[in-house]
Amino acid sequence: MAPALDFEAINTPDFLGRLRESGAAGQRAFGELVRVTHAKFLGFIRRQLASPEECQEVLQETYLAVHKGLGGFKGDSKLTTWMFSLAHHKICDRIGDRQRSHVELTENREAALSTESADDALAGATAWDAAPDRLSARNAVEALIGKAIETLPDQARQVYQLRDVEGLSGEETAAVTGMTAENVRVQLHRARRKIVDWVQEKMTGAAASGPGMAP
Amino acid sequence: MNLFYTMLYPCDKVRDFMYGYLEGELPMLTSIRFHLHLNGCTACREYLFLYRKAANAEQFRKENPPPDELLSTTLDFLKREGIVGEADSDGPADAVPPSG
Repeated sequence: MAPALDFEAINTPDFLGRLRESGAAGQRAFGELVRVTHAKFLGFIRRQLASPEECQEVLQETYLAVHKGLGGFKGDSKLTTWMFSLAHHKICDRIGDRQRSHVELTENREAALSTESADDALAGATAWDAAPDRLSARNAVEALIGKAIETLPDQARQVYQLRDVEGLSGEETAAVTGMTAENVRVQLHRARRKIVDWVQEKMTGAAASGPGMAP
Repeated sequence: MNLFYTMLYPCDKVRDFMYGYLEGELPMLTSIRFHLHLNGCTACREYLFLYRKAANAEQFRKENPPPDELLSTTLDFLKREGIVGEADSDGPADAVPPSG
């Protein structure tokens, strides 16, 4: 049996060559590509589109685009970076369709982000107070950051998702989104600050909401 | 909050330097002023803690694993499109589990 692949092994010239083979060998390589990458790309898509059905469709469309575009892929970037770029454009198409029909993506996301779920995240935040080392409720902080990501504007969320969640470099993120490197920096900093401001607002509200919140 | 330290830079300016700080890009004098401010400002230290947390968000890749049927559904779809073969859509996964 061939050695198991991981996400980075997808980016080797050897694997790209296998993907481009015709017949069963190429099909088998594509099956491996899907097995290794589907969870990562679904996670990327799911952070930006709320509907599970739509996420599945975009994932499938992305793989179709990968297959269609393989012949023209010159290897100027990593294969996975190029795949992120294709997924990004599919997501943007969906967002564009929604905006054209006056259905704001962020409104849907806000609806999905119910008060109840934010309260769940805050349930572990009772250790919050004004002491310098008071951010000990680490899981609660991380849960709130997870919720905060969903409240970001589309462009900032896409940049944040690529750069800070998926770990792409600034140059790769710029290549995927078509932004300048400087714009990526600006959007990323803006996204981080919005996240922190949102988390602080929620935690301050939790601390002020009544007795029992102070340690 | 110690007013002496915070006079060097206002809090909002310090927070805008946090990107450069994490990237190691602050010029020497800015870095000194940045640290002096943090030394005297609990609120900005807390802000930096959260900013750093937000910037290290890899853990969110692993939350919410995909549904079990996602892989087979995707492979079945690609089989119908002629992109993967019969064995690829039906066989067990022999690659490492996806990293999420």
